[in-house]
Amino acid sequence: MAERSFAEEVLKLRAGDGEVFKGEGILAITKALLQSGVSYVSGYQGAPISALMDVLNDAQDILGELGVHFEAAGSEATAAAMLSASINYPLRGAVTWKSTVGTNVASDALSNLASSGVTGGAMVIVGEDYGEGSSIMQERTYAFAMKAQMWLLDPRPNLPSIVDMVEKGFELSEASNTPLFFMMRIRGCHVSGEFVAHDNVPPRYSDSNPVIPNREADKIILPPNVYAHEREKIAQRLPAAIEFIKERKLNEFFPGKHGDLGIIVQGGCYNTLVRALQRQGLSDVLGNSDIPIYVMNVAYPLVPDELVQFCADKKQVLVLEEGQPEYVEQGINTVLRRADVQTRVYGKDIMPMAGEYTGQVMLLGIARFLEAAGMTPALGSAAVAAMETPLSEDDQRELLSNVPPRPSGLCTGCPERPLFSAVKQVQKELGPFHISSDIGCHSFATLAPFNLGNTIMGYGLSLASSSSIRHTLPHKSISIMGDGGFWHNGLTSGVTSAVFNKHDGLLIIVDNGYAAATGGQDIPSLVEPNKIIATTIDTDAPAREDQQPIEDACRGAGVRWIRTVSTYNIEAMKNTLREALTTDEGGLKVIIAEGECMLNRQRRIKPLMKRSIADGKRTLRARFMVDAETCTGDHACIRLSGCPSLTIKPNPDPLRKDPVSYVDNSCVGCGVCGENVHSAILCPSFSRVDLVYNPSWRDRMMGKLRQTVIGWMQSRDDDQQAAGTL
Amino acid sequence: MTKQRTINMVVAALGGEGGGVFTNWVIDVANSEGWLCQSTFLAGVAQRTGATIYYLEMYPRGDIPEGERPVMSLFPAQGDIDVAIASEVAEAGRMVQRGFVTPDRTTLIASDHRVYGITEKINLGDGTIDPAAVQAIAGRYARDYIHFDMAALAKAHNAVISAVMLGALAGSGVLPFRRESFIAAIEASGKAVKTNLAAFNASYQAAQARGVQQFEPAKAAEPAAGFALPQAHSPEGEQLLARLRVFPENCHEVLYRGLLKLVDYQDYAYAGQYLDELEDIHERDDGAGDHQLTRETARYLALWMCFEDIPRVAQLKTRASRMDKVRDEVKAEPGQLFDVTEFFRPRVEEVCGMLPAGLGRAVQSSRPASAVIGRFTGGKKLRTNTIGVFLVLRILAGLRRWRRRSLAYAEEHALIGRWLQAIRRAAQGDDLDLARELAECGRLVKGYGDTRARTSAQVADILARAEQGGASAAAVAHWRETAFADDDGVAFRQSLAASSAGSEPKASNRAA
Repeated sequence: MAERSFAEEVLKLRAGDGEVFKGEGILAITKALLQSGVSYVSGYQGAPISALMDVLNDAQDILGELGVHFEAAGSEATAAAMLSASINYPLRGAVTWKSTVGTNVASDALSNLASSGVTGGAMVIVGEDYGEGSSIMQERTYAFAMKAQMWLLDPRPNLPSIVDMVEKGFELSEASNTPLFFMMRIRGCHVSGEFVAHDNVPPRYSDSNPVIPNREADKIILPPNVYAHEREKIAQRLPAAIEFIKERKLNEFFPGKHGDLGIIVQGGCYNTLVRALQRQGLSDVLGNSDIPIYVMNVAYPLVPDELVQFCADKKQVLVLEEGQPEYVEQGINTVLRRADVQTRVYGKDIMPMAGEYTGQVMLLGIARFLEAAGMTPALGSAAVAAMETPLSEDDQRELLSNVPPRPSGLCTGCPERPLFSAVKQVQKELGPFHISSDIGCHSFATLAPFNLGNTIMGYGLSLASSSSIRHTLPHKSISIMGDGGFWHNGLTSGVTSAVFNKHDGLLIIVDNGYAAATGGQDIPSLVEPNKIIATTIDTDAPAREDQQPIEDACRGAGVRWIRTVSTYNIEAMKNTLREALTTDEGGLKVIIAEGECMLNRQRRIKPLMKRSIADGKRTLRARFMVDAETCTGDHACIRLSGCPSLTIKPNPDPLRKDPVSYVDNSCVGCGVCGENVHSAILCPSFSRVDLVYNPSWRDRMMGKLRQTVIGWMQSRDDDQQAAGTL
Repeated sequence: MTKQRTINMVVAALGGEGGGVFTNWVIDVANSEGWLCQSTFLAGVAQRTGATIYYLEMYPRGDIPEGERPVMSLFPAQGDIDVAIASEVAEAGRMVQRGFVTPDRTTLIASDHRVYGITEKINLGDGTIDPAAVQAIAGRYARDYIHFDMAALAKAHNAVISAVMLGALAGSGVLPFRRESFIAAIEASGKAVKTNLAAFNASYQAAQARGVQQFEPAKAAEPAAGFALPQAHSPEGEQLLARLRVFPENCHEVLYRGLLKLVDYQDYAYAGQYLDELEDIHERDDGAGDHQLTRETARYLALWMCFEDIPRVAQLKTRASRMDKVRDEVKAEPGQLFDVTEFFRPRVEEVCGMLPAGLGRAVQSSRPASAVIGRFTGGKKLRTNTIGVFLVLRILAGLRRWRRRSLAYAEEHALIGRWLQAIRRAAQGDDLDLARELAECGRLVKGYGDTRARTSAQVADILARAEQGGASAAAVAHWRETAFADDDGVAFRQSLAASSAGSEPKASNRAA
């Protein structure tokens, strides 16, 4: 059950010829795939293409009607391997993942695919998570495209261009027998817009029209074929691609009156460039530019003829290429030198080598380029630089100390919070820990207030990365992995390897039931929600009969010491952690820390609770609160938990200066505050309040009785107090 | 005639605040008014923290020639923003910080309420930022700054804050769209239409009035200038107030609240004891900083004398007014039944603290006796709204009558005595700065269990230094500040060790 439902929006995918399709970039790509007659689609979630997986998942009815096969792949490697269907058969296929991490995972299959070459169009839609707000290291997919000889499409970020390039991309792939990347930047994935749709095209082959098995031995990656493939890439596939790109005009030329200048831009940066030109008074709002522009919707390969044609009559050109190293710029220089074209090429000498080409960066770059060309831009580079920091120094300093950072953190009621509270408390007893962390929500434990974790090596690789440090640690090695990471890679790279090597350490598998960090997609071990944690109101969501429990997988891999503990039981978790870290028993110790993702859980039970209350059934809703009168404002509870609903408010006691802790109305009553009070010996200020909806006659009777007796005692106390007041 | 450029709008919403809903409303409004609207966003991860930035550009369809398309940017850029919207005051500051607010062009619409960041929340004392400073700067850099407490308005109408933000946007008049179109967008969404519309309308009015509304900064109430001493309600009270009136007027509020607390905590005599001590301090006060020495000693002495032992906690938990506070805090419907479960974890020390001093000490030092007591400690979950638990708590609260003989009393008052003595000695020696810094150390004393043990020990350490005569005002201020730096006491120990090694403590201008 994904975070975002596209159930309604996918209905738009049925749009036929001439209908105007409105929606997000991600949805437009899906529609373009269907218009291209894909036979199979797959992928692995991760921003910014998680939503593409969610769309495909929600669109299964429509895909099924057309005969398109969809699978949620176990990893990017799985998805990449699926593209092998296009090697021997004219089947069009598309897979998607987050790059560059997903491309790294998939690289083995991709290299082999690129070597064999394809008959049907094969497309990898990569969400390039580069720039501000990125959750991964900053690398370019471009390098992979070059070294494996896969083409890289980077279309202008408007829906008609995106859709058009998907369709032409399949043709390019087939014309050149080469798989290709279709690169989407994070903002492009989410851009809203419209385009005129075409009818969906059912795939040529599907379950209703099977292929005839076809063996082409020369496509198998064994010697001497691989050497032949390498020569074929250069002798046949590359020229075929360049020819197709030229003939079908995949790249675009925009003329301009300043004929001796030119700008060469990757398609994805085109809009930002035009905005910069608009602000310099060199383009109108429709993109009619005074400076000629060559847009590379195909970022790789370069098309030498087009580059020479564009540059031949120009004195200076600017190459706009995001990221490093400057592959495109180098390529262009080579092309121009070989053709003996003397145009001065500007690129990373005036543009930043690292980082995103934001509006500001682009504006500054254009100003510098114009200045280098001897023009006087409307906004000179000094004026643009001043815009970056419009604040006076004093104001800047004042804001620096008064705008608090907002780092990512775990959600309200997150089941991982009590786990890390427990780890933190055990750490206090046993001394500082070195922890190998992993990718997933749990990686936020490396931030305040938990500050737990030393390295993150990749998805499912925490246990593997513990195996080298373990022999020098003063304690048993500790690795933390999510259930998503476990299935993605951790079982094979980590668990089986550790058992084989008699790794005497602890692996904590955070089992929250979903691939939570990417938006709550289902995973193989999705267990019956009822079994994860006790709930105040329960659901009869059916269990999957084919569920694959993590514990069984670990046992199957040879792990003997396995404990499954509810994360919300901090005391039990502490005891289990202590035992795992101090036991004399050798070998890998696995603690499966269970607790359902609270976001998913709330999505699941909120409607049930509402219905239950509306149906007149007795229903309890729990939440926590802090007694402001007994709270002394030390905030130890917050440092131990960091729950977003546990916050502060001004102290109601005018004598006290420090704010008191306060539980806001977003509390979901997970119980961690109470557990922490007990396990960490905190203050007596926390109370759980169970609100009763539709009380039974017994509730009402008891309520009345208690009210009468307690009320009588309280009024006596009140009288006494009033008599003795100031 | 073709319009020169698009209208550009950036929206910063915190996770879960409905920034997406807001953006979709604006797109709908633009569409219905015949404008082309492009939006995009940068979501963080799935988690409900951090800020999500939405960016919209708009252009009238009527100005677009057949077969062409305006080219719109996907990036907000400095100096290129017409409207910036922030759902929280510090986020408004971030907009200014990032250069998205420029005096020639940008209308800044922001809520004045606070959503505290983690660095503010985990502080051992008060780590909150100063929203007034942010507002002052925002006001200077925005072309038009429309701000009011949108969260309060949303709450008042039981609506979502995005509806209030939409109202403010409509009311600001910065977009060329009619009010009806905004209303139609809310109606079309079909969710909580009535409440959201009410909030929209109220917000629209507020924005039209340019959001003139006072913001309540999240600080403890400073003694108000116009504090008037209330009448006494009893002859004993009158005696105490008569003694209070001798003190300078700028100390009255703190002293009065202190007396109120002490009488509630123990009795008139205890409050008298408080005044005895303060009269002594006041005599030595040179009056600097509106009698800072007397006032702040009074503040922390009252709090310290009302130390939170088991009877005190029981007293507060059984009070009639408490259930009303609970009802209000959890937003229960009127008359709705609820159960309240307290989470207690008394240690042996707290239980012994209730016993008569001699007995308490004996039990604490005897291992078998402690073990017996230990059986009754540990995590307790008590349902205060049941008659049995209430009775137990009421009995515990009643034990306060014997408090003066208890071990906890003896221990707390021993340290209080040392503290007051150190203040007096410093004042007598004419080092009033040191006296004031020592008085401020009272702020350290707080928490329960281990926390309380740590903070008390830190105060004792500082006092020990003062008693040896080895503490300057700057040193005490520095030590106190480091005590607030972390809850393992690492920085504190280091700073103490550093000053005993002979190096002068660094004077710091950061207020503790």
